[in-house]
Amino acid sequence: MAKLSIENKIENLNKLAEFIENFGEEHELSPKNIFELNLILDELITNIISYAYEDDSDHIIELDINKEKDELKIQLIDDGKEFNPLEKEEVKLDEDLDERKIGGLGIHIVKEKTDEIKYKRESNKNILMLKKKLK
Amino acid sequence: MEIIIDKTETLTEIKLAGRLDSNTSQKLETELIDLINSSSENILVNLDELNYISSSGLRVFLLAAKSLDAKGMRLKLCGMKNYIKEVFDIAGFSSIFDIYESKQKVNSEV
Repeated sequence: MAKLSIENKIENLNKLAEFIENFGEEHELSPKNIFELNLILDELITNIISYAYEDDSDHIIELDINKEKDELKIQLIDDGKEFNPLEKEEVKLDEDLDERKIGGLGIHIVKEKTDEIKYKRESNKNILMLKKKLK
Repeated sequence: MEIIIDKTETLTEIKLAGRLDSNTSQKLETELIDLINSSSENILVNLDELNYISSSGLRVFLLAAKSLDAKGMRLKLCGMKNYIKEVFDIAGFSSIFDIYESKQKVNSEV
């Protein structure tokens, strides 16, 4: 089990990248799996940092990653406002350049790159549980 | 992330190296929009040395493609690693840009 607590600042994405690099080396993940794990968590954490907090104080986002056989189990906890990414409207991918929207792509990428996502709200915290099969 | 700009008479090439995420996308956005506004040549973004991209990076390319489109031009991208190309595919972006395997492939078509 590997744990990382990061403050809600975008520059901390570098700490996330370093953490995942180390986790990947330790568990002998392929470069593609390391990239995808980083991407999933980057998208989710960027969303949290950008939209979850309505004050200017510091908040801690907690990340746990567990490797069980050929599967990663990930838990992400934040104390921001209630947000269930699974309820977000799906982006339209077949629109022409003119109509393509900028937002919503991050969550779409997360859904594509994970095998299971569960959300719950508990004691004023968002808890996201993800599973990703290693291929 | 490093951004290197190489201008010739017929082509403006932007080489990106390192990580393109929400930390670095603003820097690219500023450079790219500046270049689009100031040049009438084709713009090629060379991703040979790019190791990472998130949706923040895709967002910048979409913005750039839209500004170019208004001038009747398309954004050309080359040198994507396979796992980066996959992100473009997932986002449904592969059809809105001109994507080339390598710079050589671009030159043979331009």
